[in-house]
Amino acid sequence: MSEQTDDAAEDRGSGGDALARRDPLSLLFQPGAWRLERRLETRAVHELYATLVALAITAVIIGLLVIIAGVSPLDAFSSLYDGAFGDRESALETLVQATPLILTGLAAAIAFRAGVWNIGGQGQFIAGAIGTWWVYATMPGLPAPLLFVAMFAGAAVFGAVWATVASVLLVRYGTNEILTTVMLNFVIDYMLSWLLSGPWQANDTPYSQTERMVESTFLPRFFDDSRLHLGFALALAMAAVVHFLVRRTTLGFELRAIGVNKQAAAYKGISVGAATIAVMAVSGALAGLAGSGELLGLHHRINFEFGEQQIGFTGIIIALVARLHPAGVIVVAIAFAGLLNGSTQMQVGTGIPAALVTVIEGVALVLVLLAAVACRYRLRRAAVHADGSAEGSE
Amino acid sequence: MEDFFTYSVILGIFVATVKIATPLLIAATGELVAESAGILNLSLEGTMTIGAFTGFLVANETGSLWLGLVGAAVGGGALGLLMAVMTATVKVNQVVAGLALNILGLGGAFFWYRSVYDESGAVALPTVDRFDTATIPLLADIPAVGEILFDQHWLTYFGVVMVPATFIFLYRTKYGLELRSIGHNPEACDMRGVGIISRQYTAVIYGGVMAGLGGAFLSLSEAGQFFPDIIAGRGWIALAIVIFGNWRASWILVGSLLFGFLEATQLSLQASDVNLPYQLLLALPFVLTIAALVLNRSRSRVPLALTIPYHRGER
Repeated sequence: MSEQTDDAAEDRGSGGDALARRDPLSLLFQPGAWRLERRLETRAVHELYATLVALAITAVIIGLLVIIAGVSPLDAFSSLYDGAFGDRESALETLVQATPLILTGLAAAIAFRAGVWNIGGQGQFIAGAIGTWWVYATMPGLPAPLLFVAMFAGAAVFGAVWATVASVLLVRYGTNEILTTVMLNFVIDYMLSWLLSGPWQANDTPYSQTERMVESTFLPRFFDDSRLHLGFALALAMAAVVHFLVRRTTLGFELRAIGVNKQAAAYKGISVGAATIAVMAVSGALAGLAGSGELLGLHHRINFEFGEQQIGFTGIIIALVARLHPAGVIVVAIAFAGLLNGSTQMQVGTGIPAALVTVIEGVALVLVLLAAVACRYRLRRAAVHADGSAEGSE
Repeated sequence: MEDFFTYSVILGIFVATVKIATPLLIAATGELVAESAGILNLSLEGTMTIGAFTGFLVANETGSLWLGLVGAAVGGGALGLLMAVMTATVKVNQVVAGLALNILGLGGAFFWYRSVYDESGAVALPTVDRFDTATIPLLADIPAVGEILFDQHWLTYFGVVMVPATFIFLYRTKYGLELRSIGHNPEACDMRGVGIISRQYTAVIYGGVMAGLGGAFLSLSEAGQFFPDIIAGRGWIALAIVIFGNWRASWILVGSLLFGFLEATQLSLQASDVNLPYQLLLALPFVLTIAALVLNRSRSRVPLALTIPYHRGER
């Protein structure tokens, strides 16, 4: 299987097998010369190629958009790159922004691996920030190291509990977790809004935000000239933990099993309910940690930014583009953070609206998803059938 | 507290209820059709944003609000078409496809808007004349009821008419029944020779068109302008309403009005000095939706094949 045929499968694959007969692209080929076949197994290399091809096509589409907007794509991309990774300062700032995205990306990845559609990363992220603040506000006497542990634990527990609301409803009543986690995002968003404008509101400001935390609770920073904080190391460590958990533990085996086929897993003696609740709790805890990292490392108070930045939703996109691999999540999160970080400079330098970044995210995700399906098929020269259709390939 | 319960405040709440319910109702009846054919379109928020924008863009460029509505329908329908390609043809996971197109819709509308109107940053935001309210003669003269029900935008009447229309379509026409069969048991339909993909395309594109029109209600009837946050979660609320209404058109009307009422009440609460956390009322629709999911589970009308892609010869 060479790369060229892979690319060709890409082109045809977006039309899908079922419509292949009516697909105008098929007219490019001699009728009957090619047929689309389902691969018996997909190799990781194929997935990687397909993802890279999808990202390359994304770059072309975005380049065309930029040309339509009247700017040379070379200028736009180079100023985007300069703003993201151009010098030490901006590169470190990119890592700062990647920190929470890695964690919410991992949160989505591990749940999706188990076939549990946790769309509630955003809410669990906020729950984590709330949990951190709650520990901070209720346990002021704790010595520093213990306080850090307690605050992170608070974040993980609050995030896990918020996710567990959905997983218990799923396991107990069979309510669709996609729908409940989406709803729960809104519920906690308003809960936070109430806390910030009521019980937890800082006395000295009219804004909806908490008091600033005392300096002893700030996460240490790596360098004097950058905001990069310990949370980044924590996020990388969590990626390793997730990798280990998925690959080397019983829970990991179970969650991969229920992700492939719930019924088969149940026949094999795996408690699908227990595994679902466990994986949702882990997922919620990871998203919760992202909330506490942002609070302790960056903002030092809870404010409106926690609700507005869409860290949890971006994590879902990152996980999917990374095809749910922990290491891939790190790479994609840093790339996405670079886009966010560089977009300001691009807007100032070339006049291209920073909203282009959201378009890039959307196009990249759409194409990666299509590529993931496409690489399950391959094009073959058909010797006999003159029909040239996909019939029988499924 | 006393001055909150005055006639004019309460009348105002009811008038606002119907107005706020309109885009929710239009988008939700469209989504009901898409979900009836087995496709959950999570990109409603982005689709409504695109509709609000393309509607505004066309209205602003041509000076015609009616052409604006056509623009909104085309914009929303285009995103619906993309959704149909991804889910009905390529069979990408529906949740994921919906989230992807949601981002694409939101980002696309913001980007397009900023590149057309906001280049210098100093220009005042453009506006269009809004649709006038369409007062129904005689009926509008009934005290209170007339003002609440018969002095609204005509898109509101359209939304209300779509409730029985959607019911009749889904339960009394051949095509609608086939759509619902596909949503419940695509395998049986395939065996009977009912084309699945074409019907799913129709349903999802129709859902996109309706979401686009719902978005255009906000930009062309309400605001008279476009701004990036114009939908402000209404797409997600419309999705919630379909669930809350247990996939029945009549209950979707009830849900839209209830959610509209809660929103209208909290707006009045914020404007008054009544000391009640308005966030409670804002969160309530979502709590109610989860409650409805749990309570309705034994008589749930959720299409059984919702979110499950159909592959011929598998399962």
